[in-house]
Amino acid sequence: MEALQNFAVALMALATPMGLFHVAWATLLGIFVGSLPGLTATMGVALLTTLTYTMDRDSAILVLICMYVGAIYGGSRSAILLNIPGTPASAATSLDGYPLAKRGEAGYAMALATAGSAFGTLVGILLLVLLAPPLAAIAFDFGSFEFFWLAVFGVVISGQLTGGVSPLKGYIAGLLGLMVAMIGSEGIHAHVRFNLGFDQLNGGIALIPAMVGAFGFAEVLTVMYRREAQMVDRKKSREDRMLPRLVDLARYKFTIIRSGVIGTLVGIIPGVGEDIGAWASYAAARRTSAERDSFGHGSKEGLTAAETGNSAVVPGALIPALTLAVPGSAPAAVLIAALFLHGIRPGPMIMFEQPTFIYSIAAMLVLATIAIAIYGLSLTRLFILVLRIPREYLMPVVFTLCVIGPYALTQRVFDIWIMVVFGLIGFVLRQMNYPMAPLVLGIILGSLLDKSLRRGLTLTDGDLTPFFTRPISALFVIIIVLSILAGLNPVRRAMARLNLPGSRKDET
Amino acid sequence: MRFDSANADRITAIALLCLGAAMTWGGYVMDRLEIRHIHPASIPGLVPMILGVAMMICAVALAVSADQTERAEGDDAGSWPHFAFTAIWSCIFAIGLVSRLPFVVAAAIYVAGFTAWFLLPRAETQSARLKSGAWILVFAVVTAVSVSALFRYGFLVRLP
Repeated sequence: MEALQNFAVALMALATPMGLFHVAWATLLGIFVGSLPGLTATMGVALLTTLTYTMDRDSAILVLICMYVGAIYGGSRSAILLNIPGTPASAATSLDGYPLAKRGEAGYAMALATAGSAFGTLVGILLLVLLAPPLAAIAFDFGSFEFFWLAVFGVVISGQLTGGVSPLKGYIAGLLGLMVAMIGSEGIHAHVRFNLGFDQLNGGIALIPAMVGAFGFAEVLTVMYRREAQMVDRKKSREDRMLPRLVDLARYKFTIIRSGVIGTLVGIIPGVGEDIGAWASYAAARRTSAERDSFGHGSKEGLTAAETGNSAVVPGALIPALTLAVPGSAPAAVLIAALFLHGIRPGPMIMFEQPTFIYSIAAMLVLATIAIAIYGLSLTRLFILVLRIPREYLMPVVFTLCVIGPYALTQRVFDIWIMVVFGLIGFVLRQMNYPMAPLVLGIILGSLLDKSLRRGLTLTDGDLTPFFTRPISALFVIIIVLSILAGLNPVRRAMARLNLPGSRKDET
Repeated sequence: MRFDSANADRITAIALLCLGAAMTWGGYVMDRLEIRHIHPASIPGLVPMILGVAMMICAVALAVSADQTERAEGDDAGSWPHFAFTAIWSCIFAIGLVSRLPFVVAAAIYVAGFTAWFLLPRAETQSARLKSGAWILVFAVVTAVSVSALFRYGFLVRLP
């Protein structure tokens, strides 16, 4: 009851004319960003963070959350119309969305995607409110030993799940991120490490320029490198419509709830993100569906499952971000940086320092969900027009923002160079199939891992035993070891032979 | 040239091995701050050494498994000239023009050059080229002025 009251108070506080104005423009911008192939939610949140420096705290976070929710939802537009996911989160959506569009049911596919996204986010919000406070309470039992393993766990699991057929590349990306985090003044003795002779690196590599480079500039390069996509010929069939049928939503209610729960739980896992949430929900729906043969050929249930799953990851990813300061996805990593910029310290203390903040976040998510539902069902034609903007006009504008955005934070030209370096490295890594999420997570968690290991060893006078014998630490160690073993080729082959449900092929 | 190939993995493995070795060595020779009597287990080079060793192990595994890794079929579907122009022109703007020219001028030159490179060759007649060029100039100026004004007056940023 108290939670409901807190939520209502937070919602009322945000529902001012200015608050609703922010919701309106930021969600619309998010949908545009998400719908344009190559522009991702992470890039949108990172670039928009640079535009929120002068805003008050609540407005800034509201704008960023609306961008995040809008962009994840917006990815479904190009997945359905172009067969190219606007964001990686919508890859599963294109499997059934595009065949539906080719059958002349593009409007209905977008309507189902809208309904799935809205319901998925709502399921996630409910779980956010229910799970965040107990998780923060559990995190109070964490000492240096547990935080060390939490950081290792995040990088390993993220590498494992986002590395696709080659978890090794995921681990390498995570290690690269951790190495980047070693640059600059370390957190215990303030000793400067690996500054390569640049005084500007004494404070380390700032997250925002690195993210804008890795997700902004790298994406500009990727978009211009790829061949131009062709939009599906939107012939309209008699069955096409812009509103989802209630009978369809009722038929898929269990799919929606299951996908929402799966998406949220995937979101809680550090650094895994929306694409895995969508694939996991899609795979679960296919396994249990009576119409599983139609999956991949225009299944409405498959489309609903994928969109519900990826949208539910958004609130899920915010659960560890708020309570442990460990992001559940790449956009959540940027949100953590934005929270710090605006004077909010995510972590276990958040429930004591700002006990109602979780409810404010839930209220922001609800407002963003209402906005995507309204836009999604009413502005279909506008989104199709946006997809027709030539990339030759759009990309130089995006890169101009990539240059001025990181500069605006510290007014150092050096940060522009950092952005360029990370953009070039990000492009090459992406082309070589190295996932970006573990890299980002490594940059975020590097300091935590470093300080926790050395603090723990100092406390035990160099004895490693507590790292393995404390209950939560032991649990982390077991999960990490099992994850690494499961990623080894001989084990994967054996699992595939046994047809165990955890094998990757079965999921995708 | 394919980015995702066994050869690319082997070359990357060598680069990563060197990076790991450099990190390990850097951590090993890093100041141990004995003068400050810190606990030997909290030396600043400890984690870099561990990360360096882990990276070398991963690099060896990458090289060993290069031939067995599953890869997508077919050629890279990208355009190298498009990529090369975008990378070079964007770097010239970010590293060369910004901070040497007023930002609004640098941005206008960048946007005009970028758009013209891709769109002007598509115009088939002289008049179409002129029309396209005029439109590109207007677009570049409007973009540069809008972005500069947003940051200068909206967010009070002293532009480079």
